[in-house]
Amino acid sequence: MRRALVLGAALSVGLLVLVAWLTRGAVELDALGDHYALGAPRALLVVALVPLALAASARSLADLPRTQLVLSAVARALVIALLALALAQPARTTDRTRTAVVFLVDVSDSITDAALAHATETVREGVAARGENDAFVVTFAGDARRVEVDAEHPETLTLARHADGAATDLAGALRLGLALLPEGRLGRLVVLSDGSETRPSALAELDGLAARHVRVYGALTDDGPPADVAIEDVALPAHVRVGESFAVRVRVRATQPQRARLRLYQNDLLNGLEGTRELDLPRGTTEVEIRSVVHVAGPVTYRATLTPGDPATDRFPENDALERTIVVPGRPRVLYVEGESSGSLPLSRALETAELDVEVRSPRAFPTSLPELSAFDFVVLSDTPAEAISSEQQALIERYVQREGGGFLMAGGAHGFGLGGWEGTRLERILPVRMDPERRRDQPSLALALVIDRSGSMVGEKIELAKEAARATADLLSSDDSLGVIGFDSIPERIVRMQSAGNRVAIQRDIGRLAARGGTSIFPALDMALSDLSVTRARLRHVILLTDGQTQEPGISDLVSLMRGEGITISTVGIGSDVNRALLQEIADAGGGRAYFTSDAHNIPRIFTHETTTAMQNGAVEDYVAAHVVVPAAFLRSVPIDAAPLLRGYVATRMRAAPAEEILRSDLGEPVLARMHVGLGWTLAWTSDVKNRWAVDWARWAAFSTFFGGLVREHMRQRHDEELPLEASMVGETARIVVDAVDENDAFVNDLDPIAHVIGPMGAPEAERVALDVPLVQVAPGRYEGETRLTRFGAYAVTAEHRRDGDVVAQSVGSLVHPYAPEYAALEPNGALLASLATASGGGAYGGPSDVFDARDEHVRAREDVRAPLYLAALALFVIDLLLRRVRLFDRRFRA
Amino acid sequence: MSWELAGWSAEAAGALLAGVGACVTLLYFLALRRRPIEVPFVSLWREALTDERSSRLFARLKRFFSWLLALLFVALVVGALADPRASGHAGRERLVVIAVDVSASMGATDVRGGRMAAAQEEARGVVRGLGATDRAILLAMGAEARPSSAATHDHTELFAAIDRLAPHDVVADLEAAARLAADVTADAAGRELVVISDGVVQHEAEARALLETEGLPARHVRIGQGGDDLAVTALSVRRYPLDPSRNEVLLEVTSASETDATIEIELLGDGETVDVIPLEVPAGGRVRRFFQDLTGVDRALEARLTRTDGTHDALAADDHFFARVPARRRVRVVVVSEDDIYLEAALLLDEYLDVREVAPAAFPPSEPYDVAILDRFVPAAPVDADVIWIDPVPPEGASGPLEITGTIERPFFDRLRREDPLLRHAALSDVNVARALAVRPQPDDVVVASDTRGPLLVRGTRDGHAFVALTFDVRESDLPLRPAFPLLLLDAIESFAPSDAAYRGSVVTGAPALVDLPVTATTATLRGPDGGVPLPIEDGAATVRFERAGFHTIATDAGDVIVAANLPGGSELDLTPHTLELGAAETSTTTIASEAARLPWEWLTVVALALLFVEWITFHRRWTV
Repeated sequence: MRRALVLGAALSVGLLVLVAWLTRGAVELDALGDHYALGAPRALLVVALVPLALAASARSLADLPRTQLVLSAVARALVIALLALALAQPARTTDRTRTAVVFLVDVSDSITDAALAHATETVREGVAARGENDAFVVTFAGDARRVEVDAEHPETLTLARHADGAATDLAGALRLGLALLPEGRLGRLVVLSDGSETRPSALAELDGLAARHVRVYGALTDDGPPADVAIEDVALPAHVRVGESFAVRVRVRATQPQRARLRLYQNDLLNGLEGTRELDLPRGTTEVEIRSVVHVAGPVTYRATLTPGDPATDRFPENDALERTIVVPGRPRVLYVEGESSGSLPLSRALETAELDVEVRSPRAFPTSLPELSAFDFVVLSDTPAEAISSEQQALIERYVQREGGGFLMAGGAHGFGLGGWEGTRLERILPVRMDPERRRDQPSLALALVIDRSGSMVGEKIELAKEAARATADLLSSDDSLGVIGFDSIPERIVRMQSAGNRVAIQRDIGRLAARGGTSIFPALDMALSDLSVTRARLRHVILLTDGQTQEPGISDLVSLMRGEGITISTVGIGSDVNRALLQEIADAGGGRAYFTSDAHNIPRIFTHETTTAMQNGAVEDYVAAHVVVPAAFLRSVPIDAAPLLRGYVATRMRAAPAEEILRSDLGEPVLARMHVGLGWTLAWTSDVKNRWAVDWARWAAFSTFFGGLVREHMRQRHDEELPLEASMVGETARIVVDAVDENDAFVNDLDPIAHVIGPMGAPEAERVALDVPLVQVAPGRYEGETRLTRFGAYAVTAEHRRDGDVVAQSVGSLVHPYAPEYAALEPNGALLASLATASGGGAYGGPSDVFDARDEHVRAREDVRAPLYLAALALFVIDLLLRRVRLFDRRFRA
Repeated sequence: MSWELAGWSAEAAGALLAGVGACVTLLYFLALRRRPIEVPFVSLWREALTDERSSRLFARLKRFFSWLLALLFVALVVGALADPRASGHAGRERLVVIAVDVSASMGATDVRGGRMAAAQEEARGVVRGLGATDRAILLAMGAEARPSSAATHDHTELFAAIDRLAPHDVVADLEAAARLAADVTADAAGRELVVISDGVVQHEAEARALLETEGLPARHVRIGQGGDDLAVTALSVRRYPLDPSRNEVLLEVTSASETDATIEIELLGDGETVDVIPLEVPAGGRVRRFFQDLTGVDRALEARLTRTDGTHDALAADDHFFARVPARRRVRVVVVSEDDIYLEAALLLDEYLDVREVAPAAFPPSEPYDVAILDRFVPAAPVDADVIWIDPVPPEGASGPLEITGTIERPFFDRLRREDPLLRHAALSDVNVARALAVRPQPDDVVVASDTRGPLLVRGTRDGHAFVALTFDVRESDLPLRPAFPLLLLDAIESFAPSDAAYRGSVVTGAPALVDLPVTATTATLRGPDGGVPLPIEDGAATVRFERAGFHTIATDAGDVIVAANLPGGSELDLTPHTLELGAAETSTTTIASEAARLPWEWLTVVALALLFVEWITFHRRWTV
């Protein structure tokens, strides 16, 4: 027994090794004309246990003849072998010639009803002729769906259109068709379509078709393109400037000759130059050119619409409109602060003519924050006194120029430069001119009359401080200047007669005689001042009137006008709360001077000092002078400066040292126009005025606008100096944005952090637009790309900001259009696509059912499970085995 | 749980069981005729009789037990024939769509055997768990969802299709899989989508919406555990616009690792190692390098990432990146000029210009040319090529490209169309010119630069050929002394004949790509390891979908076209498995395979076999009869 077990174990191991070796790979066999294969051949290892089992029965206790025992063992071994074989999943593979055909029927909008009816008939005919083969039907447009077919009654088949008829996904239909093909059939796909797919790409499915040996047969549903008229494109120039006329090219396509009316809208209004045009369209594409002009910067949307003469000839109204947006760069913004509001017209008009956006403000409305100031690219401060611009606002201007790169021009006038008290101010330090002009030999001196109220109310500290102020004034004046002091109550008195300021000792002494008494009467005092000043030879004559009282005297305004006519200017100083402010302000305004009011008498000396300094340092040159070019700035190339008219005056200043540049110089050798780089920006000094006073002839000059327009453009802030080209296009529903960044030195601009802003559809109300931020990723040196999905049709504005270390270093502007469903764009059948598909897959043109249901010489292998016979055989053998063990078939006579 | 029979029907199986069972029972009713035994000694006979009496009851039980064993065997075999299957959808035929993610991230090795093997095992488990009447179809969920099998009951076919699955260098599109699943199962009585994926997919929200709209039940079997990954996320080469002989290369490596990594990037130019770059990549960071002024690489560039710090990179698919170096073609330029050395010098800057000087009398030359530069020369006949005109004063009685109306003294470049390609690199605003022709351009001409008094630089089309015209003699200006002069000339030539040196990015794997072919190509074949796949040509281009990163060759009868294809940079970088939200769907993170390792019929057969062995041994030991 033990020996039998050892032998059996050895045989089992040997058999195990043998079976393992035999089943190391696929186990296949050709027998009886069929091909067999095992799905899980390792299950045959069970057979290796048979010798061991037989060995266990070697010394059987069963009372059976040996013959029966042997037969029983054989039967049992066979049963085990059959079950092991069943466990190994045997299958028979056979060659089959049955076909399975999926009819893929295009039901998208581009298919006409007649073509669809024809396709339906084709499918019915195919299904009816299928015989023993399989036939399936799929309809497709934007999606693909299986259609149930009543095989017995194919004539009842109807093919409905899909809700998503505005797209054609042929590739998706091919995939669904492939999925529907059962195993063991020759696969055929019949495509009934116009071949115009709107989603990529049927050709990309060739790999999948080839992997399952599926052939494609194409049938072009060529019923001719439907009668339709469409706008194919609205083309705009890549760059449009405000005020510049350009052509809008509208491409119109008609599938048959017809009349139509084309309308072109600019934003919501009909295009101003030409809004409507009647078209006589031939078959094919016609390009229509319409002139337009943009007057306002920013995104501008052009919308072209077509109205066909006969609506019946227009199958798709969806493609009768198309819009495109262009972002028109904004005009540079100029802040023009004019001290004399009535005089702003010449310069503002000139700048607007030069296509600059000008905002005129009074000094009181000067910006108080840097963001407000930074909204402008250039700032003109004209004829404005220093006290009208606070030191904080001056600091703003300095920062605006230095850090923001802004341009700043100070223009002269009665309150410009020294005349406006700008000497020593923060702003003077960043200007290219100094305001302490060298006094020329022939420059007229200053004659100053101090008219001081000495009424009873001035008694005490006030009169003493007034005297101190008068003395300080005398000290400030040079010997070329003249000074007179008139004290007045109800009667004026010459405290210091008009004399050279060089007589300082006498003047100081006489001022001490000033004492308070009596009432207040200004008129006689001013009249006396007029008398004194009118006889002086000084070119600049000025009066400072100090009073603390209320007075109403007739004739003062006439007197002031008379004095102004004599070239005498008057400033006024009011002390205390009882002073007649209106009167003093009126006198100062009419007298071309300044009005000061203070409740603290201690301010009087400072006011006098300031006023005197202002008056004596003005250096106004009121004479006809010509401007000569010193440094030829670029903007002067377009200006015939030699033909420029004369200026009638300017404020005398002195040039600073380099880097200040003197561009224009007066006959007297003093700067008329100078500039200086300050930080990132420019400051400029135009020492004449920009109004109808000194520059009255320039304002009438034809090149006045060119001159100042060029000046501003050359020196204004260069916003995001670099503009990088941006291209935006639609690929299906995906907007693709590409920025190519190459600088002027042929170097790629790398490591930018760009973000694109896509806004639209621009034809929709603002509240309904979507705004998307699309980060652009650097994909190559100097190249940045980004994508976003756009589901709504229309025109979109695209801008991009390119940052480095948080700062915007460049910008890009572009636009894209997602016109309408591509289904409505291409109405001509694309037979080439179907032909390519068919040829590359081994199919061909669909000529009828026999093309696809006839297997010809092709066959496909089909797999058939053959376990059942094995199980039945095992059962039969098991019964035989039982019979052998339960019935004594041999040795029935029991021979001993 | 209910059961269904996939094999024999219940009636047939019952009849078989009854028939065979009857036979077995009949055999057990038969008393085995015993062999006569001669007993020579009475005591032994008595002993034998006593033994028989005492064991009669036990013998009856033994026979009954043996009969039961035989019936059990028969029942097991009949059961295997009937092929019972568990079904939660009794009475309804289900169509189960098994969408297996075959994106690049499924090549990760963060689980034993890799994610793909785990996904295949899960898919087999789903197949084994199908009901008797259930059918299944296998989808390979890549950039598109493709059916990998037919809808079938046949497990073997499904297993074979599962075995064929392999990860591709693409990003999985869940929406595409959901859409195809919905389409395929639209008419099925019962249906289900099983997504076997690591969850690193595109369009999850769209898929969820679609599934809810279609009412398609779905469940997600999540694969993977997560692992460290570093990837080459960009490699590209661009020729400098003005000096196309030199290149600039961008290399970008991105880390999804939680620790800093030390790596080496091996750069291969045209197949040869040109550089090995050590890099330190911070945890979760990105390192970008630019290599400027490179020369010598003319066709292909490849970057390979290797970790040198001993750490494991879980995904190899994104450790390499491929780039094509844009090809250049020569432009044949004919120059008609009188000793303009500035012109000659400017044209020498581009080595890809074949410049020939021709005397005015010898123009046009007999040899073909692409561009003519006519310096103060206007031939009598129209020029059959693109032309750069310089000071185009026609001879008496002839007409030039532009109508001349006079002269402009000391013109300036006051107005420039800075956006025009001709001025892409050239700064002309401060160029001094002594004199220029006053010309009248035609309506379609583009005035690129002008003085306020007239155009100075014009481009347009004449006789079907493009032209660029400078309206002044460059010798009477300081333009030749400025860098703008050669730039302007080269930009003009480039505008005539855009070279292939323009940037061409690599193709993204998974998406259909339109590959431009030579204009004369009539046949195209995509070369692959298994031979060639013919490609249809449409509008001079072939549509190809590459699913493997690398260099691909499209052979045409007009020459080969090499295409570099890459996985979208960083798309598969984060290997953290993600649970897909599929609406009301359930998510399984346990293995289905373990729940249904084998089908019932297999178990029944195995038990029947075991029973055979047991019964065989016990019979011969007389424990059973």
